[in-house]
Amino acid sequence: MIEFRNISKVYKMGEVEFVALKGVFIAVQKGGFISIMGPSGSGKSTLMNIIGCLDTPTEGSYYLDGENVSGLTFDQLSTIRNRKVGFVFQNFNLLPYASAYENIELPMLFNGKKNTERKRRVNELLEMVGLLPWARHRPTEMSGGQQQRVAIARALAMDPPIILADEPTGNLDSKSGHEIMDIFSRLWKEGRTILMVTHDPAIAAFSQSTIRLLDGAVQENGAAH
Amino acid sequence: MILAFFRNLSRDLVRQPLRTILTLSGVTWGTFAVILLLAFGTGIGKQQMKQFRGLGQSIILVFPGQTTMTYNGLPKGRPVQVTPDELRRVKERVPGVRTLSPEFISSRNIRYGREQLLNTVRGVDVPFESIRNTIPGHGRFINDIDVQERRRNCFLGATIAKNLFKGLDPVGQRVMIEGVPFTVVGVMIEKDQNSNYNGQRDTHCAFIPWTTYMTLYGEKYVQNFIVQPSDPALSKQTIAALRNYLGERLGFNAQDKDALFVWDFSDFERQFNVFFTAFNIFLGIIGSFTLLVGGVGVASIMMVVVEERVREIGIKLAVGAKRRDILWQFFAEANCIILIGGAMGFFLAALLLALLPVEKLQEYIGIPKLNPLVGIVTVLILVAIGTLSGLTPARRAAATDPIVALRK
Ligand SMILES: Nc1ncnc2c1ncn2[C@@H]1O[C@H](COP(=O)(O)OP(=O)(O)OP(=O)(O)O)[C@@H](O)[C@H]1O
Ligand SMILES: [Mg+2]
Repeated sequence: MIEFRNISKVYKMGEVEFVALKGVFIAVQKGGFISIMGPSGSGKSTLMNIIGCLDTPTEGSYYLDGENVSGLTFDQLSTIRNRKVGFVFQNFNLLPYASAYENIELPMLFNGKKNTERKRRVNELLEMVGLLPWARHRPTEMSGGQQQRVAIARALAMDPPIILADEPTGNLDSKSGHEIMDIFSRLWKEGRTILMVTHDPAIAAFSQSTIRLLDGAVQENGAAH
Repeated sequence: MILAFFRNLSRDLVRQPLRTILTLSGVTWGTFAVILLLAFGTGIGKQQMKQFRGLGQSIILVFPGQTTMTYNGLPKGRPVQVTPDELRRVKERVPGVRTLSPEFISSRNIRYGREQLLNTVRGVDVPFESIRNTIPGHGRFINDIDVQERRRNCFLGATIAKNLFKGLDPVGQRVMIEGVPFTVVGVMIEKDQNSNYNGQRDTHCAFIPWTTYMTLYGEKYVQNFIVQPSDPALSKQTIAALRNYLGERLGFNAQDKDALFVWDFSDFERQFNVFFTAFNIFLGIIGSFTLLVGGVGVASIMMVVVEERVREIGIKLAVGAKRRDILWQFFAEANCIILIGGAMGFFLAALLLALLPVEKLQEYIGIPKLNPLVGIVTVLILVAIGTLSGLTPARRAAATDPIVALRK
């Protein structure tokens, strides 16, 4: 359902061009749990951003659920981001002045969901990540692990089939990291497709298989765990 | 959805109070200044006009003088003498004269009990009341019977009544004018008057029937007379007709300006109105610029805000916000700030006006008035400024690249 055909990404900084991805072919089936590894600067985040429609490739075509999304407009991609993917970032990326509740609610505000429906969903998600008593608290009042759980709840707000996690445990201690991974495992078992960037082999061990990147190219695809 | 939009908006504004207050203050100050400026402008204009009308509304004052031109063989230097009889005919025959009153004026001794004053006594006709706004606060003005029967009735200005009667009710009392008893039939309301002619201001005058005046003091010719034109806009034509008519009757050249000296207040009033309209427009322009500066302040702060908030924008874009969602958010924020700031400025100005001891200042600046028109125009200007100053930052915000924003 996620299919890259010869995807390249070139960043232009003035005169200098930087090739972040070159000729990448990948295919991830629905319900897969893939980890992406590779040294810093190898293009892992770039790959994730293109999968999540946050960034667009310079070359090649990207098929998501059989649809070529390469030619879509920004606002059409926004709709895809809203419905089909949920992002989880290394640095959480929560709104600092909004409560946990409001952060989780955010994706639903861009979708015209009814008030009662939003409320039900946010509470359901808060309960799922075990943060119901923290609903009114702001991110600054929470631990890293708690913040990342809020971020996961937010990613799940629109019930997307794909979860994209860019080093979700990178800023966490190993105990919190494992708690987060337990949640991902559960989500995977529920049938979601999960792609996760990590440097940590112990975290990568939760996934089905690993894609290895080096200098923007796929070095190894499908090493099973 | 709309509710959520506004809830979000208020959260964004309330939870970052310093930024909001900073932005608000410029607009609040601007609106405050504009509203106050225009309120005082209107107040001053109204007060000046009121004082000005103390003399009467759109009146023409005519002072018979001396001829300075020969006329049909008559030499120059002859005095022009006008009798009340002549004036009755003027009223009937000169087009454009609605009504008129002769006026005899002199300084007379007025006494009540032990109080004795030297004040102006005016011998006038009934229409004087409406022409010159000598409105009775108590009792009545001189009436037709007083004039026909040469009654010794008098109408007093407020100050003279106060000085003679010390708070006692003067109506029905008897005062002595040059030793002759007069019955007080009415007292004039207090009024402001900033221009005058012959004798004291109205509050210091006693008014008696002109017939009585002529009999008692042996006067034959009026000092002056006052005319109310049917149409103040046509006062020039009325004056010309008056000169023609009297010139023919009394023997002087209608072009001889000194034979009849004419003081046309309707002309004055027009100029005065033009001046104050110009004054208010001037204040309005200054005010609008003040508001504009406030708007520029909002725009520049919003620009900084957009810089500060790229991450927030990036997050919103990542979870599915469209560019126009971001555009609307920032646009609405700028407008909200401007409207709230405007409302606060308006409220503060209203508060200040309510708390100001206006009674003490009234004579000079009048009562500052919150003009609803000014309010509406201010709101319109604010909306325009909100649109202009919100659009640029909002567009910049909407153009944010989510990748760059999230890497920060
Ligand atoms: N917006 C951009 N403009 C210019 N260069 C960029 C941009 N985004 C990424 N790059 C460059 O592309 C390369 C790949 O970046 P990317 O973030 O995908 O690496 P990564 O594998 O995620 O690294 P890390 O492990 O440090 O997160 C890097 O060298 C980076 O400097
Ligand atoms: Mg990265």
